[in-house]
Amino acid sequence: MRFRTVWTIYRKELTDTLRDRRTLIFMLAIPIVAIPLMIMAISQLMMSQIEKQMKYESVVVVQGAEYITDELWTRLLDADRVEVKSEEDYRAGDSVCEGELKAALIAGEFEALMVIPETFDSAIVSESRTEVEIYFDEAELKSEFTVRKLKDILEPYGEYIVAQRLASRDVPAEVIEPFDINSHNVAPMRKLAGEKVGAMLPYVVILMCFMGAIYPAIDLAAGEKERGTLETLLVSPASRGEFVVGKYLVILTTSLVAALMSLGSLTFSINYMIKGLPGEIGKMLMLQLDIGTILLVVLVVLPMSGIFAALLLSVSVFARSFKEAQNYSNALTMMIILPALASMLPGVEMSYQLALIPVLNASLIIKNAVSGTVQWNYVATAFVASVVYAVVLLFFAKKWFERESVLFRT
Amino acid sequence: MIQANDLCKIFKDKKRGEVRAVDGVSFECKPGEVFGLLGPNGAGKTTTLRMLSTALKPTSGTALIDGLDVVQEPQKARKRIGFLSGNTGLYGRLSAREMVTYFGKLYGMQKDAIAERIDKIFTMLDMLDFADARNDKLSSGMKQKVSIARSVVHDPPVMVFDEPTTGLDVMSSRTIVGFINRCREDGKSVIFSTHIMSEAARLCDRIAIIHNGRIYAAGTVQDILNTSGCDNLEDAFIKIIGE
Repeated sequence: MRFRTVWTIYRKELTDTLRDRRTLIFMLAIPIVAIPLMIMAISQLMMSQIEKQMKYESVVVVQGAEYITDELWTRLLDADRVEVKSEEDYRAGDSVCEGELKAALIAGEFEALMVIPETFDSAIVSESRTEVEIYFDEAELKSEFTVRKLKDILEPYGEYIVAQRLASRDVPAEVIEPFDINSHNVAPMRKLAGEKVGAMLPYVVILMCFMGAIYPAIDLAAGEKERGTLETLLVSPASRGEFVVGKYLVILTTSLVAALMSLGSLTFSINYMIKGLPGEIGKMLMLQLDIGTILLVVLVVLPMSGIFAALLLSVSVFARSFKEAQNYSNALTMMIILPALASMLPGVEMSYQLALIPVLNASLIIKNAVSGTVQWNYVATAFVASVVYAVVLLFFAKKWFERESVLFRT
Repeated sequence: MIQANDLCKIFKDKKRGEVRAVDGVSFECKPGEVFGLLGPNGAGKTTTLRMLSTALKPTSGTALIDGLDVVQEPQKARKRIGFLSGNTGLYGRLSAREMVTYFGKLYGMQKDAIAERIDKIFTMLDMLDFADARNDKLSSGMKQKVSIARSVVHDPPVMVFDEPTTGLDVMSSRTIVGFINRCREDGKSVIFSTHIMSEAARLCDRIAIIHNGRIYAAGTVQDILNTSGCDNLEDAFIKIIGE
């Protein structure tokens, strides 16, 4: 293996590859243009949905409003973003509805139906137990939110009644509530951000890492076969190993660039989106990418790119044509997506076993890195494992490249 | 100087079992001589030339290129061979100059030597007008010239042409034929394969008739006509392979 020859091959293949529009699309256009646009579109949609929910006034029909206590009725009328109507008012105002109120609820005429029993008022006074029925449509987000709003009115009212009853008996409130439960969130903001916002980041980075490798890999081996340039390389004095390593390094480069570009672009666009959120939440959830985190991600992505490059190069050498190589690569993509998704599954925690699984280990480590939790023992395990896989696969690619039956497969 | 000594190549095929693509082929081609391998498709021409040019390893037997054994010292032998086939392609996104420079480097040449050589070849082949355009923008005749330039950048004493005119239009194949003649004048050993009788008759100093991996007859065109008793190469060919 002569370094100068490998360098010659690397430079030529990189130049050639960088002039290929398809490579540039995956390496630069998608990370720089498509990802931010996608994130912004999603965030716009989310913002408009949130705004809609916040402004939305739920209509609640109360059946048996005449049995309700004055206090509760006032509370219902005073509540924000809730419009209560007694059954009579509702029927008077809306001649369309003549049948069952529940049918109207299902039809989406209003958001919730509250049924007050005849004995409600008297039960409150006589201190016997009574109930309030709420009907809602869980399939409708609006209806579900309305139930939450109603509970926010009813529960304080219940507490108010208890407090009144205790006061009338001179019993202090502590009797029924012996202690308070105060839960305090100690997660550093960064961890929270990584957990909540950063979960999809590894998936995109890994996928782009793979995508960035596909076209150069296909072009650099199957493409040579299809163009009829492979034979001219084989009869040149550069060894087959030198070609494999030179080509391999080019694929590694584009894969790495695509992954890092998407990491940067994702972080930037997610933070941009979060800035737009109202209040303190925005600042809390910002992703922080310091130089240490980036280096850690590189440390994880590099051997993974190495695996991808070797895998795709082998497949590409084997394929007879560009098209065939493309089909194999598509099949491989499906195999990459699954382990890459690991970081998005709840409850998947890093362990030594998982650290040995390629791609999956990267997915979990990147997620943790973004959250600011780095477990070096797992990082080291994953790094060593992935490097071993990459080297074995590269060796395999080289063997493949030396086999006449593969090179001249017809 | 090319010497093929009892070259054999056996392929393993799932359906047909062992296939003897080339079976004991020997010949010699001296400097300044054009030697033709004439045979139908599947005769073993391409396999023979691939063994000569070190793309394939012979199952047994060997060949000497300027005295260098292609099995023992393939790296050294490669530097002395220029290879061109009819379906050789180009790197479409590179220019002629870039591509030829790349191959010059692969052949271990120094930068200055490559630049000098490119000037010479490009002038000779009248390529200066399109030397810096991307290859995929060129006409088929221009592309052929780029392929030629690529094959001789390292000024090899031995040229191997594998069906160089197959699939080419008249202009492009004229360019190739002219180039083969020039190689002979330059004193190179030239071997080329074809299934076109007239081409072989016109270009070759000596030919070998190859069929089913074996050489059936070899000599000058006149020798072959004389021994077969035919007055044209096509009849002689049919008679010699016995079909």
